[in-house]
Amino acid sequence: MNLWQAFKMAFKSIAMKKTRSFLTMLGIIIGVASVVIMVSVMQGQAKKSMEYFEKMGDNKIEVQAYAYYDMNNETGQKLFDYCLSLSDLILGITPNVEINEKGTIQYGSKTLPVNDWDAIWANATPTGGGGMMISGDPYETMLRFVLGSESYGVCNNYTLAGGREFTYLEVEKTIPVCVLGSGAKEQLFGFTDPVNEIVTINGDPFQVVGWFESMDVEYNKSLDNIIVIPYTFNRSMNKNSSIQRYVIKAKDAQSTIEASTKLEAFLLGMFPLNADGWCETGSFRVGSDNSYAENAEKQNLMQSLVMGAIAGISLLVGGIGIMNIMLVTVTERTREIGIRKAIGAERSSIITQFLIESAVICSLGGLLGIGIGYVGTMIAGKLMADVFEGMILMPDPAIAIGAFLFSVVLGVIFGMYPAIKASGLQPVVALRAD
Amino acid sequence: MLIDIRDLYKIYNEGKESEVRALDGVTLQINKGEFVAIVGQSGSGKSTMMNVLGCLDIPTYGEYYLDGNDIGSLTDKQLARIRNREIGFIFQGYNLIQELDALENVTLPLIYRGVSVFDREDMAMEALAKVGMDDRAHHRPSEMSGGQQQRVAIARAIATSPPIIMADEPTGALDSKTGRHVLEILRGLYRSGTTILLITHDDGIAATAKRVVRLSDGKIISDKPQEVDWE
Repeated sequence: MNLWQAFKMAFKSIAMKKTRSFLTMLGIIIGVASVVIMVSVMQGQAKKSMEYFEKMGDNKIEVQAYAYYDMNNETGQKLFDYCLSLSDLILGITPNVEINEKGTIQYGSKTLPVNDWDAIWANATPTGGGGMMISGDPYETMLRFVLGSESYGVCNNYTLAGGREFTYLEVEKTIPVCVLGSGAKEQLFGFTDPVNEIVTINGDPFQVVGWFESMDVEYNKSLDNIIVIPYTFNRSMNKNSSIQRYVIKAKDAQSTIEASTKLEAFLLGMFPLNADGWCETGSFRVGSDNSYAENAEKQNLMQSLVMGAIAGISLLVGGIGIMNIMLVTVTERTREIGIRKAIGAERSSIITQFLIESAVICSLGGLLGIGIGYVGTMIAGKLMADVFEGMILMPDPAIAIGAFLFSVVLGVIFGMYPAIKASGLQPVVALRAD
Repeated sequence: MLIDIRDLYKIYNEGKESEVRALDGVTLQINKGEFVAIVGQSGSGKSTMMNVLGCLDIPTYGEYYLDGNDIGSLTDKQLARIRNREIGFIFQGYNLIQELDALENVTLPLIYRGVSVFDREDMAMEALAKVGMDDRAHHRPSEMSGGQQQRVAIARAIATSPPIIMADEPTGALDSKTGRHVLEILRGLYRSGTTILLITHDDGIAATAKRVVRLSDGKIISDKPQEVDWE
């Protein structure tokens, strides 16, 4: 008997016993589909959360330092000076200050409100706990003033789309210049180039020197709606005159750790703790997104392990299903094996036939499982996209193939084992089976 | 000599209290072209005899030469070859594969024999025609009467044109008319030179054979030729 014959026999047998074949497949279909869907959801989620941290900035150190008696913003200056001494480790430093006052920005005939929180609150919905849930369009489009240094873009991971950032002198001399985020640029200028144009901010003319590319972070669109002004305008534009928050961009992950440690030591020197363990002159905090990212990564890993375990269990359950039905099937077919042997089938012919039969059933089941898994992933992705904006689910082909191979191997092993056993019987013993 | 068994034993549960000697020292020779009936009551060991002679079962002790080959020394593969080419089986319960139609059932031994795809369908149809079942080639066993199923089973047994046909109670499940038809087919095979071994408990059926071997408690109690009038 040749292989082609064995194939034909196997297909015949599958076609003749549709219900049984389908039941056998069902275990595999469920197993493979659930693995594909679960792993996809898991990976989509992990990707989503990592995306945020990547955009928000690697190697970014945020420093918050606040002196209780500091009328001349000396803390900021000292921190600045200290950071300059870390030039081996850092690429730049900028204050990160937002102006909370409502203002306007005007270009040509277009006047837009800035920091228009009223519009946001008008659209906010109260949450159960007494807070407010901000949602909807205004938050995505509201323009914001931020104060920064000549390294604002570098420190906050913006990329220049055109023009340049401030110069050191522009900051020092309080020159009225500004850099626009992509959202702000679009709202004011549309598709025209804003560089060197003059805009009017709160009545005063400012020259646009550059604009940033979009950060493209799905759930924080406001990152693109900034208008960056030299921080030396703090005094005139911001009633809160002391700058407390700084963002430092380190060169790499190692520098981030080193610079963080040094900054902490420096700030501890500036704000010494008393015997009780707290500081009487001010407070400070040093943190980097790297630690957030690391945490997120750890969390993702844990989630992967849990989901992987669940997926593995469902595959195992599917596998046991396959095993059961295969064992039952072949036991019930012992008589058929006896007949085949009586009319001259060699042991190898019978084993080959059952091998092909289970391989075909399992492969079909596996393929169906992958198909259903992909469709399920798409549906899950659609549902999730409504809840978690921009969450994209993509099945991982490697996982799909892995689950497929696992089920096929399992099905073939358990399809073969009873066939091997039955084919080893004396024909008369097999014939007696019912 | 086609079949030559010497001092053959088939013992179940040997040495235990429940020991059963299905064959208890049987010696028998059958020549090519004979029509032999092996007759005995239920439990006399006649079915065990057929199973051993048909290489479906192995004897506990004793020698068995089939056409000069020592069956005890053959491998599983060689035994399969003998079952396929030398012997055609007809069982009381037909033993057709339910999922396959008549033609496919008859084709099966030809497939295992390695007959080319072009020839085997013709050969199977020819075998079906010999038993008058060629018009039911595409019926499944469940769509046929017992007599029709038995005729398909006979067609399967003769499809490879084996020199020996072994029939275990071939008429046992049939009414007397279809039973007579089946026996007529066996006589036809005998006339064309096939060696026939007919296992039965029914003396009336045994009367159709040219030689009757009687078994009781696993032993041969008589072995004699008989005159038959077939017409």
